[in-house]
Amino acid sequence: MRRGVLVRLVAVGLAVAAVTLAVALFVPWLPTPASKQADRIDFVFWFVTAISIAIFALVVAVILYSVVRFRAAPDDDSDGAPIHGNTTLEIAWTAVPAVLVTVIAVVSAVALAQNEHLPKNHLRVNVTAQQWVWSFTYPKYQGLTISQLRLPLGETVQLKMHALDVIHSFWVPQFGQKQDLVPGITTQLIITPKRLGTYPVVCTELCGEGHALMRSEAIVMKPKAFAAWVVAEQRAVAKASQAPGGGGAGLAAFNSNGCSGCHTFKPAGSNATTGPDLDNLAADAARAGKPLEAFARTSIVDPNAYIEKGYQPNIMPSTFKSLPKQQLDALVQFLTAGQKK
Amino acid sequence: MTTTAAAHDDLHAGPAPPPRGWRRLLAPGWLRVPWMSALFFGIGLGITLLVRWAEGWHPIWDGQVITTVELTAVPFGILAGIGGFDYWARYAIGSPTRPEDHSGHGAYSWRDYFRVNTDHKVIGVQYLVTTIFFFVAAGLTAMIMRAELARPGMQYVGNQVFNELFSVHAALMIFLFIIPAFAGLGNYVIPLMIGAPDMAFPRLNALSFWLLPIAGLIMLSSFIVPGFGCGWTGYAPLCSTHQELGAVFFNMGVQWAGASSIMTALNFLVTIITMRAPGMTFWRLPLLVWANFTTSLLVVIATPFIAGSQFMSMFDHIMHTNFFNYEAGGYVLGYQHIFWFYSHPAVYIMMLPGFGIASEVISTFARKPIFGYRLMALSLMAILVLGFSVWAHHMFVSGMAPWLRVPMMVTSVVIAVPTGIKVFSWLATLWEGKLNFSTPMLFALGFVSMFVIGGLSGIYLAAVPIDIHVSDTYFVVAHIHYVLFGGSLFTIFAGIYYWFPKMTGRMYNERLGKLHFWLTFIGFNATFFPMHYLGIQGMPRRVSDYAPRFADLNFFISIASFFLGASTLVFLYNMIVSWNRGEPAPANPWRAHTLEWQVSSPPPVFNFDEIPQVVGGPYEYGVPGARHAVFNGDRVTEEEEVHA
Repeated sequence: MRRGVLVRLVAVGLAVAAVTLAVALFVPWLPTPASKQADRIDFVFWFVTAISIAIFALVVAVILYSVVRFRAAPDDDSDGAPIHGNTTLEIAWTAVPAVLVTVIAVVSAVALAQNEHLPKNHLRVNVTAQQWVWSFTYPKYQGLTISQLRLPLGETVQLKMHALDVIHSFWVPQFGQKQDLVPGITTQLIITPKRLGTYPVVCTELCGEGHALMRSEAIVMKPKAFAAWVVAEQRAVAKASQAPGGGGAGLAAFNSNGCSGCHTFKPAGSNATTGPDLDNLAADAARAGKPLEAFARTSIVDPNAYIEKGYQPNIMPSTFKSLPKQQLDALVQFLTAGQKK
Repeated sequence: MTTTAAAHDDLHAGPAPPPRGWRRLLAPGWLRVPWMSALFFGIGLGITLLVRWAEGWHPIWDGQVITTVELTAVPFGILAGIGGFDYWARYAIGSPTRPEDHSGHGAYSWRDYFRVNTDHKVIGVQYLVTTIFFFVAAGLTAMIMRAELARPGMQYVGNQVFNELFSVHAALMIFLFIIPAFAGLGNYVIPLMIGAPDMAFPRLNALSFWLLPIAGLIMLSSFIVPGFGCGWTGYAPLCSTHQELGAVFFNMGVQWAGASSIMTALNFLVTIITMRAPGMTFWRLPLLVWANFTTSLLVVIATPFIAGSQFMSMFDHIMHTNFFNYEAGGYVLGYQHIFWFYSHPAVYIMMLPGFGIASEVISTFARKPIFGYRLMALSLMAILVLGFSVWAHHMFVSGMAPWLRVPMMVTSVVIAVPTGIKVFSWLATLWEGKLNFSTPMLFALGFVSMFVIGGLSGIYLAAVPIDIHVSDTYFVVAHIHYVLFGGSLFTIFAGIYYWFPKMTGRMYNERLGKLHFWLTFIGFNATFFPMHYLGIQGMPRRVSDYAPRFADLNFFISIASFFLGASTLVFLYNMIVSWNRGEPAPANPWRAHTLEWQVSSPPPVFNFDEIPQVVGGPYEYGVPGARHAVFNGDRVTEEEEVHA
């Protein structure tokens, strides 16, 4: 190859690389990382991107150069040069990519090992997924169960996860970490939050009709605020359990079955909007022409019996018909007692 | 060398005299289909009821069980009706067969495309027309999805219907379009390329085609049943026990399509191994034949695994077995291991034939020999071997044994090496060539550039930490469309345009072909490139609704996808009009060297009047005096043997 050709080819390659680099740098591709693991993932991402840009620029440069330079004239029926191969070149483009991908694999393996290192001092949270709700339990705080994940800043958390029906997957984009929850086995995920804020929890494994709606939130709090929240929450549970009508059992059932993941209900402090607002339960029952208690009970065990305007059938799991009678009674009582008289 | 099908009538025994009166109901054909289907339906129903009655199961009439049994029985009735088994049935019961009359061979009118036909060229066209039908059907499901996704919130379809739309979209595109479209092109071209009169097993070939429309109709009717809303991956236990009967339609559709695939692959293997013309050594095979040889090995080894996984899933659903039922000791992840042990090699089943087409087209339109021919063939074999060692890279976040991840990452990135060899060799083939930018070449070059993007995003997905972040998001949707649309579909288009003159005897409209390419190329990138961003930012795949902050980009993608969908109309119009009224095609419009271009367009019924004698490589462009093959009568000189 003559030197002039090489210079022109390199120039085209650099131009392509510059354009690609601009696309890579000026588009905010990655979500702002909120965990230490996401930082390492981002590093691997940019490492692979750098190599990819080089390869892409090379390929596109050769194609563009060939398209312009080797285009046959309309009346040119001749053949190209009968070049059958070049051993040196073929060895080079086998060996160089082999080295590059090996380096990528090593960098990835190191990042993976670091991301899965679990320090001795860590917070454990049990995650339960079912169609189509999340619930989070803190064994350290007497089994406190909530439908949004709350985490203290800077403390590594180990999520021990299991699913009750089909496969689900836990993902917080800003944490960068993702793990399937599989019925029959326990999986785990390690996250070290490093930025305060509220982030979406997304189910990423197709889990049936309500898959697109299976969302929750992960809230990263200052350690002091987190400790204060734990105390307040535990006090609320204790207070509710002393309230007349066994409110404690009702609240516990409300939270542990994931009701708060989809419904707003002031007495439980939940404000989710996937399902109807339960503060309006009395009005809904009146509209259906049913006594409040019967309406609440039917709506739990047979969710399609009444569908409020603006909501879809088949989204609320039908599994609650198998709730133990005690829990169901407590839940109905909790719901009816919480209505504005 | 320029004889046509009609001129061959004197050598051809012609079809048996048509039966008259009520006997027409007994002759193989569409008249026999209704009553034979009814007969097989009755047999299936009878056996089911009898077994349930004898075993004392209640209720004796169980609609789900009966439907499942009939999904096996009725297709056999249809196949028996059109005559798919006539020869074998006669042979088996000792009736006289007519082995050498070739009565099912060739097409003399359009009707001959609608019966069991043993001519590989007719079957190739049957395959392509059928697969394009399902391509359009699957494309329409994508249009409905994009309409729903144009705005956040729910507009046109419910969640379950949406889940069924993307499930059927992928199932049809994979099992009824990409895989069989390549099988169709291979069917038409391979016997011609290797100098054979037909495939090794013409009757098996005919049967393997007729399984396809059956598989496709079963998958399409899963909408009516309904209930196939668990994705084309059909993960247990969602698909095995948490879906309605529609899921069984997917299970059974895969069986029929898979059986078709395996039969064709066996046929390709035997044909390529035993029916090459004299002098056609393996190192003189066109790369398309190499590619289909490798693909067929993949199909024969891997496809039984998906068949097994779908049977197990169906048994869990219908027969209450517990393969994947964790409550009874089943192993949920077992499904994924078996499924991906097929479905990762399936990615290469959907890509290697495209590599072959790209090699043919690039060499022909660059007027140059393929750079590094032997390494090109060997890299196909390397992909074949490595392809079986990477399946668990689909399962990095699945909860499988953690130690398996790093080895699977290493094998996955290593596959980039043989794939890279192919890309670099195509580029080197372009270098110093005399490039002609006809439509097939545009699609081939579009394929190389788009496939590079798909390959590079594959590296991201192979790197475990990145995969953990982007797995099951729109990044994956973008990646598979760059590989299967930018890769497979672009090469299918290249192949259809390239061999269109050979198949139909007419030229397509070049201007419309180029228009089709540019509309597709722009629409494709505008639709799928932004999806990388959506995925990295946090939009999961397979959702009917999404966070409002993704609204603008999704709206843009939907508009682009409608544009892309409309570009297909240009293709369909060009194909239909050119097939009817295009300019008559010469035998060798591209001045190519491979054997299919050395016979008339379309070729004679038995392909070659004289058996060709292969004397050299298939791509000896620019080598003075070099020939790929000579025909009887031409003497092979020693000088020509030198180039062999």
